[in-house]
Amino acid sequence: MPEQSDKSNPPEKELGLAPDPSPEEEPRIGVYVCNCGGNIGDVVNCKQVAEALRNIPNVVTSHSNMFMCSDPGQKLITDDIKEKGINRVVIGACSIFLHEQTFRQAVERAGLNPYLYYHVGLREQDSWVHYNHPEDATEKAIRLMLAGVAKARKMEPLEPVRLQAEKHALVIGGGVAGLRTALDIARSGLKVTLVEKSHFLGGRVAQWERVFPTGETARTLLQRLLEQVQAEPDITIHTGAKVVKTKGYVGNFQIHIRQQPRGIKADFDAVDQAIAACPVEIPDEFNYGLKTRKAIYQPYSGCYPAGPVVDWEHCTHCEKCLEFSHNHDINLDDTPIEFDINVGAVAVATGFRPYEPFPGEMGYGKFPEVITLPQLERLLAADGPTGGKLEWNGRSVRSLAMIHCVGSRQVDDVHQPQPDGQVNNYCSRVCCTATLNAANIIHERLPETRIYDVYTDIRTYGRGHEDYYTLASKNGVTFLRYFVEDIPEVYPAEKGSYYSMLVKVKDQLTWGEEIELPVDLVVLAVGMMPNPVDDLIGLFNITPGNDRFLLEVHPKLSPVETSVVGIVLAGTAQGPMNIQESCTAAAAAASKVVVLLGRGQVEMEPYVAQIDIERCQGNGDCVRVCPQEDAIKLETFSKNGTSFQRAVVTPANCNGCGVCVSTCSHRAIDVLGWRLDDYEAMVDAITAEIPVLEGVPA
Amino acid sequence: MAEGELPMATSTNNNRPKILILGTLSGGYRGADSVGQEHLEYPPNTYILPVMSAAIFPETFYMRAFERGFDGIIVMFSGTDCPYKGAPERTAEIINKTYELMKERKLDLNRLRLAAICTVCVRPFIEEVHKMEQLLDEIGKLPHPLPP
Repeated sequence: MPEQSDKSNPPEKELGLAPDPSPEEEPRIGVYVCNCGGNIGDVVNCKQVAEALRNIPNVVTSHSNMFMCSDPGQKLITDDIKEKGINRVVIGACSIFLHEQTFRQAVERAGLNPYLYYHVGLREQDSWVHYNHPEDATEKAIRLMLAGVAKARKMEPLEPVRLQAEKHALVIGGGVAGLRTALDIARSGLKVTLVEKSHFLGGRVAQWERVFPTGETARTLLQRLLEQVQAEPDITIHTGAKVVKTKGYVGNFQIHIRQQPRGIKADFDAVDQAIAACPVEIPDEFNYGLKTRKAIYQPYSGCYPAGPVVDWEHCTHCEKCLEFSHNHDINLDDTPIEFDINVGAVAVATGFRPYEPFPGEMGYGKFPEVITLPQLERLLAADGPTGGKLEWNGRSVRSLAMIHCVGSRQVDDVHQPQPDGQVNNYCSRVCCTATLNAANIIHERLPETRIYDVYTDIRTYGRGHEDYYTLASKNGVTFLRYFVEDIPEVYPAEKGSYYSMLVKVKDQLTWGEEIELPVDLVVLAVGMMPNPVDDLIGLFNITPGNDRFLLEVHPKLSPVETSVVGIVLAGTAQGPMNIQESCTAAAAAASKVVVLLGRGQVEMEPYVAQIDIERCQGNGDCVRVCPQEDAIKLETFSKNGTSFQRAVVTPANCNGCGVCVSTCSHRAIDVLGWRLDDYEAMVDAITAEIPVLEGVPA
Repeated sequence: MAEGELPMATSTNNNRPKILILGTLSGGYRGADSVGQEHLEYPPNTYILPVMSAAIFPETFYMRAFERGFDGIIVMFSGTDCPYKGAPERTAEIINKTYELMKERKLDLNRLRLAAICTVCVRPFIEEVHKMEQLLDEIGKLPHPLPP
């Protein structure tokens, strides 16, 4: 039988049909019913529950106690283990998510395997929901505790799966979240490889002007972070690189990376001439299409890594740039390189992209006067297309409308869905404050410019964010409120009008009055969408949520972990966040990686599939249905000179999803700790008739 | 008394239909905790068992639970938000297979429901339980033993 910690097995081996290595021992069960002060005890007659369980087979002792989580409560358990030989513990108390670890540790302190304890939720799932039916709640508690005892009889000691771990992490994404994650991991003594698919680091932040809530310029902030990353010897950076193949599991992921060449030497000294010679003109994505760039380009002066690159997708190989290349400074025949690294964990920090309005949505793409908030940010940036001057059609903007919630908080049948058929029904969280921040910057530079803020709700939720709203109000920004059923209309004013555009708003602040706003410019405060990462989702078996952002295991209790142990999320790959929140998430992701790999060994919960090799017929159904790569495989065994195949689980690759369990018609697979037999026994216990114990005082 | 044997006696609500809820730790089980934290009531003849993933249960498990005395079963998983790739699809597939078995035994298919319940899906949780409760009030308990 394969041991849990086995990572591989020889191709053929002699099958010793040994039973479970753990010695069979008579279950001696201790039952403990917590009153939780009065939280449970005021509704459930805990003494009656304890009494009802007292004479059940294998139950050696049964108590009710005021606070099982208190020191005396825990001592009761540890004393019973030591003195009465209790070898299984069933506790009825508050939520399993609150005190499971507390009781596991208590059990372990007394020398018992921590997995020989079962927790029954009697507070959230009984007393707090059946307080008007105390007798029924008591009966329910008895039945649930009986089910716990039924499970306890079948529990077996389990050991965490322990694996050697590479003290090396991969960070995917070179934006603020990725940089912060890499820095925090490296500073804890682990090696980091950072891959960024573009040729430059900095992500979206590099495109912004002044950021809230500190008012710093984004470039200053980024520069500081980049300098720290560059100074860290344990961080290796690969730009123009992406992960193309993965294998392995937590502690030992084998990552295959493909890196595009830059095509130009870093010390090439005729950059401007080469760029000028290039005849290609394409929309400049760094400036959101507000200007064009060449097929040799660098996004901005001072970018990192410094120096231009060849845009291989658009380069026509006309070789005009080569006229300025003297020492093979430009190599248009450069080819991608591929290499492998081994890492113990992966942080996914792939970031977001701004929502792209559909052609014609509020006039976007139809009228040049309609732009998005990220485009406005570029207009405000000192190195933007207008040098930081808010000009449009060659003159200063005199009046503009900023419309919130474009591409966020969308509603079915009102908004056009994305290609996957879904609208963006989530709030992008950042755009309200970002819009007000931009409004305040505009007011500061052009105090005479009239600013209309057209919103559905203002959500300035973060510390200091409300100040932006207050300041905008003081600055004379005019607020109008629309409801989603009446989306503002954007259309051109009559020819010859003083302002070129009109925005019609059914303003709820004036009880639905229709107001026409004459403006030079309309700014759509677009929401966030995740960068497309279908390739990584497939490569790492991670899961996107309904909103297409990558999904954590639990939003509160495991907020940066994915369902694949060793893969964590950092920043806006997971959902809309501002820079502050991205860095917080990045720090959390980094600390998870450091805790996981810091000791050079990883420990995982033992809830993985296990094959009963005597029942297994080797038909391979489980291998076919397993959604995880390399979690189950068929291996050849021999007995008495006859070879045959049996399924073997690689615990490190198994996440305990249980798909194989329901597939095996021979019931040869179970998930350790969650066996099908356990559930059948629990069902039997709940549905059995139980004794009525009258006269037990509560 | 032999192992696994339970004391026989009359209980207080043995005559009420019993509802089994299989709640995933990433979905329905936490959802049930959220309901409790809001102190919202639902009928006490509901028994929630925590499961890592509902995909472990084959169709025979559900039929057995009906045979043993449950009158309704709700599988509360986290649907498309399930952290286990492939598990929700497999669970749905098994439920459909179970419906076939239930048809053969002439059981009302509404006795088994698959519901996507998230960790904070308080109202949907309550609605699912009430729907099942209402159904069982209308169609009654299952006869035991079940018709062949």
